[in-house]
Amino acid sequence: MNWLAICEESALPVFGGIAAWVEGKAVAIFNLGEQGIFAMDNTDPATGVGVLSRGLICDLQGDIFVASPLHKQHYSLTNGQCIEDESLSVELYRIKCEQGKVLINTAIVGGINDE
Amino acid sequence: MGCIKTGLDLKPKLLVIGNGMVGHHFIEQLCDQGMNEQFEVEVFGCEKLPAYDRVQLSKYFETGSPDALMLASVDEYAKRGIRLHLGKEIVRLDTENRTVYSSDDEIWSYDKLVLATGSYPFVPPIQGKDRPQCLVYRTIDDLEQISRAALSANSGVVIGGGLLGLEAANALLTLGLDTHVVEFAPQLMPVQLNDKAGELLCEKIQALGVSVHTSRATTAIVAGEHARHRMMFNDNTFLETDLIVFSAGIRPQDTLARQNCIEVGERGGIAVDDHSLTSAPDVYAIGECALWEQRIFGLVAPGYQMARVALSHIAAGVSGSAATQFKGADMSTKLKLLGVDVASIGESRGFENAQYVEVSDNQSGTYKKLWLDETGQYLKGAVLVGDASDYSLLLNQYLSGEKIETPAISLLQQDSDAPMAFNDDAIICSCHQVTKADIVERVVAGDHSLAAIKDCTKAASGCGGCGALVQEIISQTMEAQGLETQKGICSHFEHDRQALFHLCQVDNISNFTSLIGKHGTVDAAKRGLGCDICKPLAASIFSSLENEYVLAVEHANLQDSNDAYLGNLQKDGSYSVVPRIAGGEITPDKLIALGEIAKRHDLYTKITGGQRIDLFGAALSELPTIWQALIEQGFETGHAYGKSLRTVKSCVGSTWCRYGVQDSVGMAIELENRYKGLRAPHKIKFAVSGCTRECAEAQSKDIGVIATDKGWNLYVGGNGGMRPRHGDLFATDLSTSVLMQYIDRILIFYTRTASRLQRTSVWLESLEGGLDYLKSVIIDDNLGLAAELEIQMQKVISTYQCEWKTSLESPEFLTRFSEFVNPVQEPNADVEQYRYSRGQRFPVDAKGGAGTISVKNIDLCTVDNDLDGLATRVSSAELFEVSAQKECEV
Repeated sequence: MNWLAICEESALPVFGGIAAWVEGKAVAIFNLGEQGIFAMDNTDPATGVGVLSRGLICDLQGDIFVASPLHKQHYSLTNGQCIEDESLSVELYRIKCEQGKVLINTAIVGGINDE
Repeated sequence: MGCIKTGLDLKPKLLVIGNGMVGHHFIEQLCDQGMNEQFEVEVFGCEKLPAYDRVQLSKYFETGSPDALMLASVDEYAKRGIRLHLGKEIVRLDTENRTVYSSDDEIWSYDKLVLATGSYPFVPPIQGKDRPQCLVYRTIDDLEQISRAALSANSGVVIGGGLLGLEAANALLTLGLDTHVVEFAPQLMPVQLNDKAGELLCEKIQALGVSVHTSRATTAIVAGEHARHRMMFNDNTFLETDLIVFSAGIRPQDTLARQNCIEVGERGGIAVDDHSLTSAPDVYAIGECALWEQRIFGLVAPGYQMARVALSHIAAGVSGSAATQFKGADMSTKLKLLGVDVASIGESRGFENAQYVEVSDNQSGTYKKLWLDETGQYLKGAVLVGDASDYSLLLNQYLSGEKIETPAISLLQQDSDAPMAFNDDAIICSCHQVTKADIVERVVAGDHSLAAIKDCTKAASGCGGCGALVQEIISQTMEAQGLETQKGICSHFEHDRQALFHLCQVDNISNFTSLIGKHGTVDAAKRGLGCDICKPLAASIFSSLENEYVLAVEHANLQDSNDAYLGNLQKDGSYSVVPRIAGGEITPDKLIALGEIAKRHDLYTKITGGQRIDLFGAALSELPTIWQALIEQGFETGHAYGKSLRTVKSCVGSTWCRYGVQDSVGMAIELENRYKGLRAPHKIKFAVSGCTRECAEAQSKDIGVIATDKGWNLYVGGNGGMRPRHGDLFATDLSTSVLMQYIDRILIFYTRTASRLQRTSVWLESLEGGLDYLKSVIIDDNLGLAAELEIQMQKVISTYQCEWKTSLESPEFLTRFSEFVNPVQEPNADVEQYRYSRGQRFPVDAKGGAGTISVKNIDLCTVDNDLDGLATRVSSAELFEVSAQKECEV
């Protein structure tokens, strides 16, 4: 699987999330400015509903999380793990910005984030 | 089948025989220390179930299932690389060749062997003891047998009035049997209690319907005339019963040791040293099967200690770390027997030349006795019956060995509210040997919740009996430190909401970057991200103060789930739309328009409790179109998504009602339009009733207004919902202008001073001085704030905006309502996400379970299974899912 261009970098809200449709699935993208850009599956594993892109970004325990807007479980943007329920985790995707474009690679999954 | 270890195996083999509480604790500790990585571990349990909580065995009868008692599972063991063999009895041990044999002839070799075989019930050699329905009380299997036997029994006898016997009696009582206890000694619990304590316990238990027969030895069990058995006693009396449970003590399970000439005690028990090591090399014994200095420890806490000691010795062999030693254990105990609190500490039955303090209270049914040394200065033992609340303190006094500075009786007259004085080395959790100092250390290091302390110290995670005490130590420690952080709203701010509000107001702060930069903790300020607690709170404060557009660039990413998209997020990710219908008054044309818009977008429509209409099932990307249509028809946002004024409910009032004394609808509309858009610590609801009949239920609202023939009565702090409260009458017969003046002041004062997510009801109760204080601030202006409060409210009123109107006028704000940032590739709407029932569209759970939390939110009784053509009422979440899936397939 190759890198796919998703949108202009300028289309991403800063310090917020937005969803993208990539290769048949919804991906949540979080743009934290200098602190990086992150991508994970948009589906909240606790409910199976695609809402993670609409969650609040949280700085907790030295890591960065998104809080599910439904029931506020926190999922790490760097390893996908849920704080409240260790059996829950979210798939992470590689994401990068090049020449003003946002590129996502959904092939490689796991706790990897391309700077 | 057996696999004898060969030299090729990489890891040394560790076998644990027995999977009871102590055997399981050994495995838990082993995994905690990562030693499951260093050994190949196999565990053998001869019961069919993995480890369960034997201390709480009688709970089985409350639920009829062992589920609540389970401590371990094969899967959890497997996850840690440990094989758990259940129903496998190890019958032979060969210490020469370091192998063990199971009853079905399998063979395992070991490098280290841990015997955690526990004990078995002692059945005295009475003639007839093997008759049917003569059972024991030790395992879940035993309980199942007792349950079955009870089905055809009217009466049951427990032989043995000790601790376990009384537990068994409780079980028989729960099973509905006419229950008797037969005890050889002249009193109950002869090991722990003195005669008077035993007497009181006996009285209390008899009052519960258990017949107690003391000083009786059973000589034979024969066929009965009126029941299955007749028990013959040594005094030539007899007792007939259908079921007998032996509980005459336990014996250590030491058979494997005996076969191999491993040293055992005269009366049983595998002899161990201070490392729990037996006389055979690399063979350990822990728990009730082990004998240390001629003593068996029949409690779980000492067993856990032995488990840790054995493990530390094994670890020392691997890493060279120092091994800890077992130095005996305190056998003090506190428990509830048939609902009666009983506790014993140290030499609870007294000793020669002891001084004592004895308090026997016939009125409250309590008995307490302290045993002191000859000089009367040191506590040596205690017994408590009927009230064991002094236990922790007495145990601490006993274990510390410190001199009692006051008359000893004062130990029993502690003020229950006074903080408990514990030494640092006092053992708070005896299951896991956690001292007060251990807990204090973690609290100081920043673990401020019981959950965090449980996690890092294990305190209160054994029997759980010390939970309240641990919580108290956490609070005490934090208080002693004068910790400001305990009122901090989250890890990013050390301020409470009131302080943050004040800071924003005084420093003129109106964006989160400045707030966290100036007032966040050092780490928080560095990252600047905040969390889902401080960001929505900051957004709410900025709105209360400045009332700017909530989706403006600097505020949008602070908003909570609903505010963030100006809609109410539902379980399936869709939103509900609630236009304002002030006072619940709506023209037929607007009602029709609302219906048409709902129909066009296929929205589920429901009348709310606040006299307006909620439209459900709008996709994120549909929201702008729906609102465009609503605004064109003269509607505006209802702020149902905000922590702000929701509705002002009203009765029809004097315009139509023949009892009404004032125009309640007119007043409701005026109030709703005045306060709409006010962001507050939590949502605010109003109601206005047109007369004293109170049809609008105003007393259950944050602000309630009830018409009188002279004006308006004002109520404050009412609430419905989870925590109902009637509002307090704040002022009477007010003119319209004074009424609004007071409400202005109250609402702003609330907005400034309440805690995060605190409704007015709780806020009012938390105000020091309560209602009178609030009156003095609002009516008498004692703080000189009134004018300022009114000015602030005037600002909010004059800066009101319909947030949807603003959004629709500014295309740059609308981009956040796109479902995807790359709309070209957007998939078609997934029509299968919905089903139809009662003529409307309902969500279908997105995945099989869809999260049990969300399922619970649905009023399941209202879900009918229409498509099957059955008038079945669906009454459980499971059924709901089944029916939903079925309909989905259709």
